Amino acid sequence: MEFEILAKCPTTKARVARMKLPHGETMLPTFMPVATQAAIKGLTAQQVESLGITLMLNNTYHLNLRPGIKVLDEAGGAHKFQGWTKNLLTDSGGFQLVSLSKFTTITEEGALFESPFTGEPTMLTPEESISIQHSIGADIIMQLDDVVSSLTVGPRVEEAMERSVRWLDRCIAQHKRAGKEGTQNLFAIVQGGLDPALRDRCLGEMIKRKDGVAGYAIGGLSGGEEKDVFWRVIKQCADKLPEERPRYSMGIGFAEDLLVCVALGVDMADCVFPTRTARFGVALTFNGPLNLKLQKHNKDMGPIDENCPCPTCTSGTSRAMLHHIVTLETAAAHALTQHNIVFQAQLMGRARDAIMAGTFPDYLRTFFKTYFGGDGYPEWCVNALRSVGVDLLENMDAKVVPGDGAKWEYSDAP
Amino acid sequence: MHSISFNLASTSPGTRVGTLTLVRPEGQTITIHTPGLITSTSRGVVPHLSRDHCQSTEAIRWANIPFETFLEQSPPIPTYQTGPHPLHKFLGYEPSRNLLSMSIRDPHDGREMPPNGQNHISAYCVRGVRKVTSSDWRSHVEKCKPDIVFAMSDIPFTPPPYSQKRITKSLERSAAWLVDMLRPSDSGTHEGEDLASQPNVMVHMAGGASIAARKAFAETLDEALYAKEAEVLKPLKHLNDGILGYVFDLIPLRLSLKTENTILDGAPAVEDDDLDQGNTTRPVRALIADFIPLLEASLAPLPQSKLRSVNSTSCPHEVLQFIRDIGIDLFDARWAQRAADIGVALDFKFPLGEEPLDTLQQAHGKRDIGHNLYDTRYAHDFSRLASCFLDGASAPDLAKACACAACSPSAPTSHISHSYIDSFAEVKGSTILPPYSRAYLHHLLHTHEMSSHTLLVMHNITVLDAFFAGIRSVLSQDNGKERFVTEVARFEKEYDEKLTVFDQARVLWAEVERARGKGRLAREKAKQNETTLGTAVELE
Repeated sequence: MEFEILAKCPTTKARVARMKLPHGETMLPTFMPVATQAAIKGLTAQQVESLGITLMLNNTYHLNLRPGIKVLDEAGGAHKFQGWTKNLLTDSGGFQLVSLSKFTTITEEGALFESPFTGEPTMLTPEESISIQHSIGADIIMQLDDVVSSLTVGPRVEEAMERSVRWLDRCIAQHKRAGKEGTQNLFAIVQGGLDPALRDRCLGEMIKRKDGVAGYAIGGLSGGEEKDVFWRVIKQCADKLPEERPRYSMGIGFAEDLLVCVALGVDMADCVFPTRTARFGVALTFNGPLNLKLQKHNKDMGPIDENCPCPTCTSGTSRAMLHHIVTLETAAAHALTQHNIVFQAQLMGRARDAIMAGTFPDYLRTFFKTYFGGDGYPEWCVNALRSVGVDLLENMDAKVVPGDGAKWEYSDAP
Repeated sequence: MHSISFNLASTSPGTRVGTLTLVRPEGQTITIHTPGLITSTSRGVVPHLSRDHCQSTEAIRWANIPFETFLEQSPPIPTYQTGPHPLHKFLGYEPSRNLLSMSIRDPHDGREMPPNGQNHISAYCVRGVRKVTSSDWRSHVEKCKPDIVFAMSDIPFTPPPYSQKRITKSLERSAAWLVDMLRPSDSGTHEGEDLASQPNVMVHMAGGASIAARKAFAETLDEALYAKEAEVLKPLKHLNDGILGYVFDLIPLRLSLKTENTILDGAPAVEDDDLDQGNTTRPVRALIADFIPLLEASLAPLPQSKLRSVNSTSCPHEVLQFIRDIGIDLFDARWAQRAADIGVALDFKFPLGEEPLDTLQQAHGKRDIGHNLYDTRYAHDFSRLASCFLDGASAPDLAKACACAACSPSAPTSHISHSYIDSFAEVKGSTILPPYSRAYLHHLLHTHEMSSHTLLVMHNITVLDAFFAGIRSVLSQDNGKERFVTEVARFEKEYDEKLTVFDQARVLWAEVERARGKGRLAREKAKQNETTLGTAVELE
């Protein structure tokens, strides 16, 4: 991997970087759409590429179950299997083991779980996770980590953090043994729950292993923790992680979360949210999400966003037409998936431009004003951005709302 | 008077090869060769296709839009669309390459409906049954400006049998509503309004299962107009003069036939379950012989030169018979599109070529017309979807390749740039990438990924289009008729007309659906309630 920082925001910790991987360049910061089972829902690889996406995700847990490693090996890897010629990232499968399987037991050896197909006990070790990811062949692969919910408290958090460090060593060793360092890039995952002391220890240990890892992910978040705690953990990690390595915030997808993370120094993020919410009829815009199921859109002949470069908006698909087909025709899900992927990419692309131009704080202020407007700014965003020198409320008479402040169109109320 | 013309190279059955040409006022020309296909739509879209896929699929030229789904809003939403081609614009079809027709009802919907009335028919939308009058229909058509409209017809969807009186009424109403549709526009006195803006009208051939009634209706079309009607329809001399072509919907015909046969033999002619909504892939199989005299009765009194279309055939064998025995020009692609829903990749060709066929041979010795990609035999099969055709990346001659986005995917020629520093390599011309494999589609089907259906729809419509191109090439030869008869016989001998592969696919499709219902769907639903909107809906 080549990683080159092109610009730094003079105010915040945001930065623009060029990351060169075996399947091309990806400009950071970026959002990565998720193709869990080797397809972005409803789209083809060519369509995703035409949207300007250069890096997407596959899930190791899912691909290991279906189609399985044998098929992927025969196909010559996941790139060829799904016709994707750009960069690919796979997670380690650890997160799904915990979130999707009720019977997973973590031992020092690995994660013991019940196969969802055969019911047989199956062990996923760090070595195996890396081997599987070698078969998949993604440009970026993740260490197997011991994942605990971000709401977990007590000694289990510390145990998981320490085990994640030990498993990182085993992953690095396996990666080296297989001789894949030249073609695939291993990322470490920082754990430690919401406890700053544990996070700090984990950061220290993992930074010691910098030579064996190409980048760092911040894990163990987005599990329902308070947003005001969430951003502090991100900040703590981003501040300490080495500058010359990309930083990846796992499972982050809301627009405001992404921009706060970028301001705190994060380079990459992924989430199923934009593609999932598309299937439920929600289009993301710079003025906030639009729920196209609502009756109020039924005669609106305008596009979702007339400035949007996505195929849905440029082909003139009206809100009325989308209202007619959302949740009834898969084509509506495809149209909104294309739009939402482009929205996320535009959000990050404009951030790159603003950072390059030295106007990132203005970009943040404009975004929050347009996106939240009269509904009120989430307090945690105001706090987080103040910590890096941007006051969203400067010269503004805006309302501030406590809680997570996510903005949704819930009802038909005008 | 029409901007659409239909020209036949030859008119006798078994050799009809024609060209439908639409010239737009803007100068664009759309050419559709016959025999050919009409793409079916649902709620205005080709199921599973985004607009870019719809446009990149060459085989999609003429799409039919059943309008009834729009009746859930009054006035229907597409009527709010402005511009020269409102229906195209609203639904996202390109006036430069797509011809759009509009019918009130989905020709494939055979569900029981309340009776039609003296001035209305009953149509179906998600909010229930709606009455549509002839003037409503006319008004919707004037606002939406489709290229072709199917005149409103009185086809009963009440339980058969139908009395003599009911059939007579059906003929009278259908003829009266046709007059209504052909009448020059009320706004014809407005400036700039001319006959060229009148829609091109296709008419359902009424008469149900009665040969006499069908003949009578056909004759009505060719009778000299008189008195009031002649005055209203000036300068038309016969109804036929204003008509582009005739359409036969097999679903209602089959309903009538079934009853007739029940009355005659005391036994139902076909199985009821084929008519169920979820099982509509092959509703009229094995009844072609019964249809043929009925269609002939309608066509005999009429000139050969008009377009003839049939809706709801269920397999290529039927299509071949209709072409050979009656000379039908257009067929809906519904069965092939539906095959994509149940995981079947079509793999057949007409005329049969030299290349070895690798579809499954059924116990009775005939080959499947496609692959049931749910079958685990495809889990490790990395070949392209159809063995009858090459794929774009390996074909020395693109004409021999299946041009669909699954078999011949093109690398994108443009990328959306999201920041000034994004750099995408200059793309000169399009590069054809390796085909998607059966193994990948098998995986997508088993993991319930929607992309499987997207790829299969594009593939199946493209294979069907190639089938029609093959038919035209045989028919166009000097001894076309004999060659065609020979090739049809070869085709029938080789390929399974029972579509056993569809039945097998349907079973596996249902299993995957059921398995999904237990696990993932429940989880997705729970997740949706937790993390997204308060708008709980089915995912698909």
